[in-house]
Amino acid sequence: MNPNVNIVEIISLNDNQLVELSKKNTLSLSLVEMKEVQKYFKVAKRNPTDVELETIAQTWSEHCKHKTLTGNIEYIEETSKGRKVKKYSNLLKETIFKATVELDKKWCISVFKDNAGVIDFDSKNGVAFKVETHNHPSALEPYGGSATGIGGVIRDILGVGLGAKPLANTDVFCFGLPDTKYSEVPEGMHHPKRIAKGVVSGVRDYGNRMGIPTVNGAVFFDKGYMANPLVYCGTMGIIPKNKAFKEVKSGDLVLVVGGRTGRDGIHGATFSSVELDKESDVSAVQIGNPIVEKKVLDTMLKARDLNLYRAVTDCGAGGLSSAVGELGEKTGVAVELAKVPLKYKGLSPWEIWISEAQERMVFAVQPKNKNKILKLFKQENVEATFIGKFTNDNKLTLTYNGKKVADMGMEFLHDGVPKPTRPAVWKETKQLKQKPVKASEKVLADDISKVLADINVCSRDWIIRQYDHEVQGQTVVKPLLGNSIHNFGPSDAAVIWPYAVVKNTKKAVVLSNGLNPEYGKIDTYKMTTSAIEESVRNAVCVGANPEMLSVLDNFCWGNPNKPEILGSLVRAAQACYDMSKGFEIPFISGKDSLYNEYTIDGRTYSIPPALLISAMGVIEDVNKTITMNFKSAGNYIYLVGLTKNELGGSVYAKIKGLKGIVPDVDIKVSRKLMKAMYNAISSGFVEACHDCSEGGFAAAVSEMAFAGELGANINADLIKTDSQMTLAEKLFSESNTRFIVEVNAENKEKFEKTIKGFVFEQIGTVEKEQNLVIESKKSKISIKTKIKDLQKSWQRQLLE
Amino acid sequence: MIFEIAIKMKKGFSNPHSAHLAGDIEGIGVKGIKSAEYMPVYRIDSDITKKQAEIIALELLSDKITEEFSIASYNSLSDKKIEKGSIEVWFKSGVTDTVSESVVKAIKDLGIENEVTVKTGHKYTFKGEIDDKKLTKIATGLLANTLIQEYKIK
Repeated sequence: MNPNVNIVEIISLNDNQLVELSKKNTLSLSLVEMKEVQKYFKVAKRNPTDVELETIAQTWSEHCKHKTLTGNIEYIEETSKGRKVKKYSNLLKETIFKATVELDKKWCISVFKDNAGVIDFDSKNGVAFKVETHNHPSALEPYGGSATGIGGVIRDILGVGLGAKPLANTDVFCFGLPDTKYSEVPEGMHHPKRIAKGVVSGVRDYGNRMGIPTVNGAVFFDKGYMANPLVYCGTMGIIPKNKAFKEVKSGDLVLVVGGRTGRDGIHGATFSSVELDKESDVSAVQIGNPIVEKKVLDTMLKARDLNLYRAVTDCGAGGLSSAVGELGEKTGVAVELAKVPLKYKGLSPWEIWISEAQERMVFAVQPKNKNKILKLFKQENVEATFIGKFTNDNKLTLTYNGKKVADMGMEFLHDGVPKPTRPAVWKETKQLKQKPVKASEKVLADDISKVLADINVCSRDWIIRQYDHEVQGQTVVKPLLGNSIHNFGPSDAAVIWPYAVVKNTKKAVVLSNGLNPEYGKIDTYKMTTSAIEESVRNAVCVGANPEMLSVLDNFCWGNPNKPEILGSLVRAAQACYDMSKGFEIPFISGKDSLYNEYTIDGRTYSIPPALLISAMGVIEDVNKTITMNFKSAGNYIYLVGLTKNELGGSVYAKIKGLKGIVPDVDIKVSRKLMKAMYNAISSGFVEACHDCSEGGFAAAVSEMAFAGELGANINADLIKTDSQMTLAEKLFSESNTRFIVEVNAENKEKFEKTIKGFVFEQIGTVEKEQNLVIESKKSKISIKTKIKDLQKSWQRQLLE
Repeated sequence: MIFEIAIKMKKGFSNPHSAHLAGDIEGIGVKGIKSAEYMPVYRIDSDITKKQAEIIALELLSDKITEEFSIASYNSLSDKKIEKGSIEVWFKSGVTDTVSESVVKAIKDLGIENEVTVKTGHKYTFKGEIDDKKLTKIATGLLANTLIQEYKIK
């Protein structure tokens, strides 16, 4: 065979040797999987080449195949009601995807099958959304890791259907605590502050240089993410409906476009399935070049509109091996690896095939368009090279300088991975109400400031302002809202009005998110229902119709080989189904990142499970969107929704060292109330609306006040609760399904009529004098704090 | 010939990269550093003339209004001496250096047709109580990611 290719002895190996081989070559394949590979080559009566073995490892990786979520799971639930056993043969299909299928929304165009989910925007266009994670690379090289994370998800949007035009980015991070002592950071790891700063600048530089605004996000700090940060990057784009699908035909040519191939990111896909340790593979680091990607973006959309290709996908994890393999799954494909343009000499064929060098896209081009598409890319200085052809033999054939280096059946490659069966366990732990929380006037006033200054509540402006959130000029509701550069509060959601792409449109796209790993430490079911509710609530706050929303799931979990960890994942997936069905909000895409664990000195650091829910929807009339800052003195302040004694996992509980019940969601009530709130907002009855989440009512009302440079008088005795609650509990409970609403005198009656039948109360007024006054005659407490002081607490130093 | 072009902010202009450095250094627990300055460095290996190197520095790599540059040249890197009290950070060979790719292209656009290879680096100089131990800690804890970069201290 070829001198650049090695034959790997596998046929004669025993079990131990198979495991050893997988480990030595970072294949991340289990013994069962290695045996399956061995079986295939025993039948073929030969040993595989290194190219073949690497291709199998990439294609079968957790990252590409999602073996855990689509595998067999035996789930055991132990509750006070007894023991329940449930078997899943594909958790994803039987929960999240099932809800989408059952809901069967006509406005869903393409779900769970392409690089992103696509829903209707208007009669001619769809809107695509995808969120990805890039955790492991960001732990090792925060700047490069996060930059290639955002670069990769932008390419997912370019690679959906025949390519969408990216309009906005989102970013959500979980970091370790910035004030962690240096001595506590494990050797070989970066300090959380360094990771956080590096990650933020990576997203900033890539997103800004691509000319795509970063408009929505969240940051959560917890010591559990010290050695393993979470970096979620999302992109939303617009795509003509007649370009929303791809089709590869035998005879089409394989075209690789964009960046050159180097040794970057070798083993990224298999690497994401291993626990990090001190000797983690250095070549797994990827470096991004946004300028190249920007050129690819601009030129490929031109080629799309000229109908010069039939299919496209991005080179992500697994590189060419995954991208070309996916496109050729149904036909077969033959590629000449020596034709792939390289950054430098010396790459072996297997390295060329699986390298994760950035900024590359793969196209299927009809032979008649061969010259036209090459000319177009050349005109714009984008490198484009034909490297092979889609065949009709259902085989993957790779050659290097004409000599065969891989020859495998597509069916074995894509469907041959054996399904593991994993045990999952969940044992119920009772959540009990904390003892009544009593606090004096002075302590309460102090607590409000402490909650606002908490690392998970305080202003993220230091991060947000590094991002260009205005480029393209379509950002209508922005991430920071308020009266001036100095007086602002956090927006609930972002609204993009794509008038430059869709001429004369009044419609807009809303983006929001929900994430709270603090709840997940106690109960992943409630964490999930709360995250979904929060994402929907946030979107409704700016004027979105909850009936036109879709959601994305992004699971970041620990090691699924541990039954308790997998059990908590099953609970979360089940909650996704229950919420999606109950709310009639479909999941349209998702991604999971498992094995977020880090072992050093024999100690295992596992991350707190984190489910990010990203919501996207279409707003009928952009003129009817609203913002969260108080608008005028004299207006009424309403609290809509029931406050329950739910301090479990709250910011207040963390500060005070309390336990308590984690916020629940009453799906039926919530769904109807969301709709009623949407009706009120879209009818123009609401001046400002903000959701109560981290920090509870006290934090939310403060934010509305200092963003609007206005005061508020609140009668806390009027807050409606489900049970006897102390003032502290009322102020800081994080119960879901609650909105703070500002309404003017003219609309008071109309507003109240719209939300009749739900729990609500006018509990105060907006005041000219800039104080937050909270009074409770029952508790004989009157708190008066200057808005400026609250603002100062909230605008504390974050990472600078 | 190897030319190293360092870009420095002119007096009277603030350098945002430098401004945060001293605070960041204190943040990682290194005390006694009074001030720190950051300069990007471009290492050009080519048979261009000194004059051409100056054109590249002036027209391409620096901002005439706010920045000034200095050029050092060596026959071989082993002739190079690092300034006392400074840290230099360079990409390890084989790591994609996107800025250098752009510089190579831009040098051609300037009309200089000679074969050039470019590496980009970062230079930091410090004032205050400095010793090797502190510099190493600053380099590894803050300035260089040894996975993809190498650093030199003096």
